[in-house]
Amino acid sequence: MKRFRFASLALASGFAAAAAVHAARPQYGGTLRVETQATLRAIDPAGDAADREGATLARRVRPLVFETLVQVDPRGGLRPLLATAWESDARGARWRFRLRSGVALHDGTPLEAWQVAASLRMTADGWTTSIDGEVIVVQPSAPRADLAWELSDARHAIVVRRSASELTGSGPFRVERLEPARLVLRAHDRYWGGRPFVDAVAIDMNRMPSAQLASIESGRAEIVDLQPADTRRVVQRGLQVAASRPLDLFVLAFEPHRAAAAHDAVRRALAGAVDRAAIASVLLQGRADAAEALLPSWLSGYSPSLVAPEFPRATRASTAAFPQEQRTLTLRVDPSDGVAKAIGDRIAVDAREAGFTVAVQVPAGLAPRPDVRLVRIALDPSSPDRTLARFAREAGARSVALATAETAPGAAAAIDGVARFERALLKDAVIVPVVHVPHLYAVSESVETWDGAVVTPTGGWNFANVWIRSKPQRE
Amino acid sequence: MTLRTRLFVLVGTIVALTVVLVTVTVSAAARRSFAALDAQRTAVLVAQVRREFAVEGEQVAQRLERIAASDAVQRIANDLRRSAGDPAASVGDAAPLAQAQGLDFLDIVTDQGTIVSSAHAPARFGYRHPLLTGETAALDPAGAPFLQRVELPGDAALGMMATRAVAAGDRRVYLIGGRKLDEHFVRALVLPEGMRAVIYRNVEPAVSRRQFVDASGVVVDSGPLEPLVARVRESRQEARDVVREPGGDESMAALPLPGRDGAVLGVLLVGSSSRELSALVSRIRWSGVALGALGIVFGFILSYAVASRVTRPVEELADAARAVARGTWDTRIETAGSGEVGDLAAAFNLMTRQLVDQRDRLVQAERVAAWRELARRLAHELKNPLFPLRLTVDNLRRARCLAAAEFDEVFEESIGTLTSGLESLTAVVGRFSDFARMPVPVFADVDPNEIAQRAVKLFQAQFAGGRRPAITVTLDLDPSIGTIQADGEQLGRALTNLLLNAIDAMPDGGSLTVRTRRVDENVVIAVADTGTGLTEEERSRLFTPYYTTKQHGTGLGLAIVQSVVADHNGTIRVDSTPGGGTTFRIELPPARPGDRA
Repeated sequence: MKRFRFASLALASGFAAAAAVHAARPQYGGTLRVETQATLRAIDPAGDAADREGATLARRVRPLVFETLVQVDPRGGLRPLLATAWESDARGARWRFRLRSGVALHDGTPLEAWQVAASLRMTADGWTTSIDGEVIVVQPSAPRADLAWELSDARHAIVVRRSASELTGSGPFRVERLEPARLVLRAHDRYWGGRPFVDAVAIDMNRMPSAQLASIESGRAEIVDLQPADTRRVVQRGLQVAASRPLDLFVLAFEPHRAAAAHDAVRRALAGAVDRAAIASVLLQGRADAAEALLPSWLSGYSPSLVAPEFPRATRASTAAFPQEQRTLTLRVDPSDGVAKAIGDRIAVDAREAGFTVAVQVPAGLAPRPDVRLVRIALDPSSPDRTLARFAREAGARSVALATAETAPGAAAAIDGVARFERALLKDAVIVPVVHVPHLYAVSESVETWDGAVVTPTGGWNFANVWIRSKPQRE
Repeated sequence: MTLRTRLFVLVGTIVALTVVLVTVTVSAAARRSFAALDAQRTAVLVAQVRREFAVEGEQVAQRLERIAASDAVQRIANDLRRSAGDPAASVGDAAPLAQAQGLDFLDIVTDQGTIVSSAHAPARFGYRHPLLTGETAALDPAGAPFLQRVELPGDAALGMMATRAVAAGDRRVYLIGGRKLDEHFVRALVLPEGMRAVIYRNVEPAVSRRQFVDASGVVVDSGPLEPLVARVRESRQEARDVVREPGGDESMAALPLPGRDGAVLGVLLVGSSSRELSALVSRIRWSGVALGALGIVFGFILSYAVASRVTRPVEELADAARAVARGTWDTRIETAGSGEVGDLAAAFNLMTRQLVDQRDRLVQAERVAAWRELARRLAHELKNPLFPLRLTVDNLRRARCLAAAEFDEVFEESIGTLTSGLESLTAVVGRFSDFARMPVPVFADVDPNEIAQRAVKLFQAQFAGGRRPAITVTLDLDPSIGTIQADGEQLGRALTNLLLNAIDAMPDGGSLTVRTRRVDENVVIAVADTGTGLTEEERSRLFTPYYTTKQHGTGLGLAIVQSVVADHNGTIRVDSTPGGGTTFRIELPPARPGDRA
């Protein structure tokens, strides 16, 4: 509604001021063209993505179509979405969510509480959901203090299933069509938060980074993925750079045969050889943060030095003390991840300068067993405990078990418990954080936003508030 | 070994030796020519490679010059000056600059030696460049191109490099760039047929197969080249060797490619395939073999022809000679042709013709002589009895005038004389008739010892002497002589004649020996006396009929002996010297003529 109010004000401002405010006045219409390297196979929030990039894209696209009851506030905490208020008992065994009134689904029908309860039953196995008027009552199988946080996850978005293939949501956009390489979203005219400015969002998928750059530079796209190394080029061409907070973490994860205590000194020496600052400031053009700890400070709230061990700077002389076979390592990187390849190359250079022989392995198929992997892990931008628990899931139980025998902190764990577990993960240098990397996008100069940035600090696509500035007409 | 075989061996050997000699000589000449050509081509190719190196270096320097003159580099230099060498703003600048100029390597380096941006090793920013590890002044900002080992991510390469410097205020930025020395460089070389060029990039601690590149990329089978490269790496000197390749030997020259400090950074291998030489030598060898085979066949044919022309007349001549020996004196050789063999054949034919003529003349002469001898002997034999008959007839004619009584007495006496004379004439005629009518021998098993003993017994009285000195007879008979097929009567008659001759030859007595022996399969009967012996002339005419040296001999005795021996297919021989006695030796075969196999 706010956008309609603004339109009225704008009309009332008179023609004299029209030219002056032309550039700042939101405009309706147009199609926001987005290109990305990832591919989305299904829009259903209950579905799993085939790969990491697909999962990231799903986390961006699905909230545009399907909404959760609550969402993470980039400034901290949760904020209402479909639920206007929520409460629980002291143990977290019974939760009540009040449904926002006037929410229309994409097919025009109103969203009702029973539909929300039915949707949650589909995504939360073992939970008991019921309704109490406009209130949805959720009783988890075990008390959960963080259930509201859990429900902020896109997996628990409210989906009304008319049939097996007909999914209806309440988000600002509805799915017009989903093709193997193209997704078209149409503006939801009766969106409870106000109709989006753009008529549609067309997302071209499976586009190579170089092709995306070419598209945005030639005006064929408004928003594309951006590699850190290309930010300078994008800025030089007058384009905007939209970035989230650092949401991805690159870590070195040693394989079991290198995780033993006999290799402890080698691991520490290699960790000490990596010039994280150079990677963050030069290779990633200052768009990333050198990572000493797993959780970024903005998320954990404590200093990395609290949990990160000290790695002495490795030199050729100190490395020469290791046996040759220990000094020779194979570093595997994801062949589809250009940033990982660049970071891996730099780590290899740093390691070689310190006397190691590191071969970067970019396997296209079967490859010999590596000694260490460079892994990109998507951080959950919610709470430290949930982020660390998700890290443990994404890094894999095997890697976590190699690093520490401690168990991950439970739901709504205290911050000191989170720090203790993180410290335990890092102390033996089996998992070595390298760098925190944000999600970067190149944004056309014609893209404006009414509220917030194109990309939220937590990585979400704020496309409902995006409008496209038309090119000035010659008189 | 026959003449034909000898000729074949001789001609074959000469042909084979000639072919081998020619083949070896031509092959050696071909090898020398190819070696000289190889050396020449290798020198040309090496010169070409040096030119290409110079051209490549010049191109690299020019491209680097264009980069140094670009606004982008000037901006980078200014940015670096302002940011005190922070590489963040320029870390990605080297790659597009290198790509635009077609360079494989490009490092942008501060005057402190720190890499700001690297096209080929983007991750090396912030580290010191290997060429600037010491004082920066050591780097000639516009020096000549040079070979350099270039570190790549996880690998190393060999590059033709150049350096340039760009000034920005009081600071400088160095550009160190170049192009990879790989198959593209080799591909630019114009290689003569049968030659190849391989570059070994000496960028690894040990000789590595993947560093051998030729025009088609990494050399698949570089194993044979590795020892040569190892030698050059060690000695830093040019080396040559013959490399065994599946397609044939290859003459390979290996030249070190030094870097700025003289270290061997690469090895240029120029190979010249000996396939053509091998093919030529093979062709020569096979031609030699073919010519040799042809020569041997030709030698065989030639030797056969020559031998035919030479040995066939000789063989015919030998056959003819054997025919002549068998008594076919009118044998002729029907050999056409000229030369020595023709002359020999003609001479042989002339010889046989003359032999036949002489034989005919001899026969004619002997026949005439025999007739004369017969006539003389007949006249002599008849003259003796005729003379008393004539005197008797004359007495009768005179007695007609005598009284009847006296006439009757004379008549009776004359009739007696005439009768005696006519009987004598009849006896003479009978002896001649007997010789003319020699009977056909009747063969039977006879004992030669017995025949000899019987013959000797007939003349016991004469041997004993009486009115003449006695003759001592010795019978030396071989008791194991056995029997032979012979006519015993005729053989006894022949022995009798020989004994009579021996008695006549020893008027003053002497010694007579009759001996029998078995020699091989034949039987030898010898009659030896110690008489007066025979002169050479007597011995040559001894068996001529009617020839005699005795006052009252008929000259038929030994002729009859020879006739008997000849009828028995035997031979008779006489050994005699005047005053030394005479020995007749009859040799008879054990079987009669025609019974022999």
